[in-house]
Amino acid sequence: MAAEAGQPAPKSEAPAEKKDQGDQKKGAKDQSKAPAAVVAASEGGEKKLSNAELKKKAKEEKAARRAAAKVTQPQPPASAPGQGDSAKGGKSKPKQDGPQAGAQHGKTPAPRSAAPMTAAAPKEAKPSVPECFSHLAMAKGVNLTHADKDVHPAVLLLGQQMSTMAISDSTTRLEATLLAFKKLLSLEHTSNKRLQNQVIDSYTTPHGTTLSRHFTSHVLNPQIVYLTACRPMCFSMGNAIRWLKLQISKIDIDMADSDAKKLLCEAIDSFIHERITLADLVIVNTAADMIAQDDVILTYAHHHLVERALLKAKASGKRFKVILVDDPFERVGLDHVKKLAAAGIPVAYSPDFGALRTNLQESTTVLVAAEAMFSNGAMYARAGTCDVATAAFDLGMRVTSLCETINFTERVSIDSLTYNEIDPERNTDEEFRLLFDTTRDKSISAVVTELGICSAKSVPAILRKLEEL
Amino acid sequence: MPSVSTGHALDLEKFLKSLKGQPLEASVNSLISLLKRRQIKGSEPCAVATAHILLQVVARSKWHDVDSLLINVSRTGRKLVDAQPNELVIGNIVRRVLGLIRDEASEDRGDTADESASDAPTPTDIVPPASISQQWSSKRFDSANSVAPPPRPPIVSSYSSINPPKSLFHLLSTSPPADGDVSPFRNSGSSTPTWRGNSGQIHALRSEVIDGIEEIKDEISQVDDQIAASAEVQIHPGDLVLVHQPSTTVERFILRAAQKRKFTVLIAMAPPRRHSAETTQHTTFRKKLSAAGITVVNVMNGGLMAYMSRVNKVIIGARAIVATGGVVADAGSAAIARAAKEQGAAVVVLSGVYKLSPESPFDESSLIEWGDSSTFVSFADGPLVCGAEIRTALTELIPPELVDTYITNLGTHSRDHLSSLISDHYKREDADFHIWEGALP
Repeated sequence: MAAEAGQPAPKSEAPAEKKDQGDQKKGAKDQSKAPAAVVAASEGGEKKLSNAELKKKAKEEKAARRAAAKVTQPQPPASAPGQGDSAKGGKSKPKQDGPQAGAQHGKTPAPRSAAPMTAAAPKEAKPSVPECFSHLAMAKGVNLTHADKDVHPAVLLLGQQMSTMAISDSTTRLEATLLAFKKLLSLEHTSNKRLQNQVIDSYTTPHGTTLSRHFTSHVLNPQIVYLTACRPMCFSMGNAIRWLKLQISKIDIDMADSDAKKLLCEAIDSFIHERITLADLVIVNTAADMIAQDDVILTYAHHHLVERALLKAKASGKRFKVILVDDPFERVGLDHVKKLAAAGIPVAYSPDFGALRTNLQESTTVLVAAEAMFSNGAMYARAGTCDVATAAFDLGMRVTSLCETINFTERVSIDSLTYNEIDPERNTDEEFRLLFDTTRDKSISAVVTELGICSAKSVPAILRKLEEL
Repeated sequence: MPSVSTGHALDLEKFLKSLKGQPLEASVNSLISLLKRRQIKGSEPCAVATAHILLQVVARSKWHDVDSLLINVSRTGRKLVDAQPNELVIGNIVRRVLGLIRDEASEDRGDTADESASDAPTPTDIVPPASISQQWSSKRFDSANSVAPPPRPPIVSSYSSINPPKSLFHLLSTSPPADGDVSPFRNSGSSTPTWRGNSGQIHALRSEVIDGIEEIKDEISQVDDQIAASAEVQIHPGDLVLVHQPSTTVERFILRAAQKRKFTVLIAMAPPRRHSAETTQHTTFRKKLSAAGITVVNVMNGGLMAYMSRVNKVIIGARAIVATGGVVADAGSAAIARAAKEQGAAVVVLSGVYKLSPESPFDESSLIEWGDSSTFVSFADGPLVCGAEIRTALTELIPPELVDTYITNLGTHSRDHLSSLISDHYKREDADFHIWEGALP
């Protein structure tokens, strides 16, 4: 922190002075810029500004930026380089404002702070989301140069991976996020430090405050805002971050910094272990047990839980067939088919929803995995799952959904357009694609979780149980 | 149909041009191979081609009475149906033409009843007028003794009661009004001797049947316009209309509505195939709609349940409609219709009456046409080719209970009304022409 604080200060001062020179004739209106420059210069050192102060500062900076823009227009070449830096510093400021607001209002993934979006707006003005779906969230991605300087490099990388859908499914995203947050806390100084002059490698609590009061608002929140800006958080990330914040707030004020950090790291490790690793294992085993000899299992696209369950069942010596219906516009099923075929499972591959009913009539059970479960029993999963589940239900087949309880949310969704995401690559009139859909509880026979097999209707009961744990 | 790219249209045109220069047999054979190779595909091109070839059969094949004409037509029809059994329209057109011949023959017979009486038939030619099928089977029996007669269609039994002795029959046949119910069977059957040697009559019949086939051709060409006429009634301002891989019929329908109404169109796109620039899909349609101020969104989802809570109407172009009301349409539309039902969106099927088939499938999977598996999976992909069975459906059947309305060139119909449309357009005795003709060489 300290090293970093010194650096931006002179930079932001220089353009401010230039501005002053250029603006002298403009008179009283521009007076606000001088204090702004001063505050900007001192920002690194004074982290403990109150909310109101931050807001005020942000406003002043905005004014200064506008004035600067006016000035640079007539004489661009002279002040351009300095200008860019000052604008960047200015942009990052309101972003820091965002997390506090977000943290106070709740941990929802939906309310993304407005600042990063407006920052990205001029660049992304061209593609227009069709009006009737404009309420839905979309992974916008954040240019690395626009990212808040407080964001940890590991989180920066993760954000890019998420926005490009390199890491896309709910549980994987959750695990990656928690591991990245762990790096925030990690005690070791990595070798990266020498390579990068601006490394927020590990966190040390500033003097005069404690980890439990400082870490969440000043370190964690900028990361969350950045990640949310890259791609809207999934429900499991919301759940886990709420849990993490609770853990942080529970830390004793008097505890030593290193102990507190160690405690948090251990907590994160055990959380990942219990809620993801072991949970997956239990679900896979349960699902594999549910597969009977000579079953014909129809599954949709690809999910690692389904894949593991099928391979596990095969490994345990069961003889069964798989019909895989793929997502026609994102052929994630092809690799899945190859893996299954390599394991010796007879597979039929249908590249789209053609003859879905015929395929279903041939099969005995439908196995899908959920991205999340709503508390009304609705299943949030890859777009198309609902079509498969409904058609299967029509034919009186068993529809089994696999889902870790970390993906359960207390929210309620009755149609697919309440919560959804638009494919960031296909978000215009010409190409439009939703990533998820919502299957109502009536077409789901069973939900396999790490706590056992339950009906979709009992999701709220499980949520209650989880609160008690 | 969306599948009718320009290449296939060319094949149809080429075929139609070739009709004049070729002998009849060669034309029939070339059409059969075009159908088998799917070079003519889609219901409209198939219907047009069938109508043309049947016109040739009527105009150029050798026939000296109504029955031999019926045999010629149904024999050719049978070959065409065999070549592409999934295109129900081929059978429909053949049935329409058969019905047309029967109608014309019975009309003419009514006019010329007196002449027929004077024209005494030779005993060998006289066949019990029980049914055409019986008559035909006996003829075939003569020609190929080794082959057993095919089973009679069940409907025949109802007529077997009126199987009078020959002499009595001829007494009766001289006075048609005495018959009470003038069934086409009786007329065509008893008309066998009527036409014998009467070249003028044959000529008249020929030209009348040809006129009738021309009318069928006109009907096919006007279907899109007539269906589009009811667009304004069906599409309301502000609607969100979903169309699945719109055929020209659907495009015309939407465009007509766009002249008067402001609404939003979602186009469910066909999945991208391996070797094609799919970016050109429906672009002209989009342009025309945008010019009319309609918002068009191309939807790239396979399952469309996610959109259905907003969608008001789903419009599907049929490839064929079976007697139960089930709709043969492009693969994927059954899932869409099911999704629409789930959310209460109306499913509207657009189809010319010529696509309405009196056949009903024994099993819905029999109407699925399976396509080329290499459209989505490369043959170079070893593990996949060896390890997996690839199923690429091109068409599928939408169950009748998922369809709300049928719009044809005759208007808007409910499912219950389809049976009366079928009985208006096809003769009962032609319903199974390709089955009872099955054993013919």
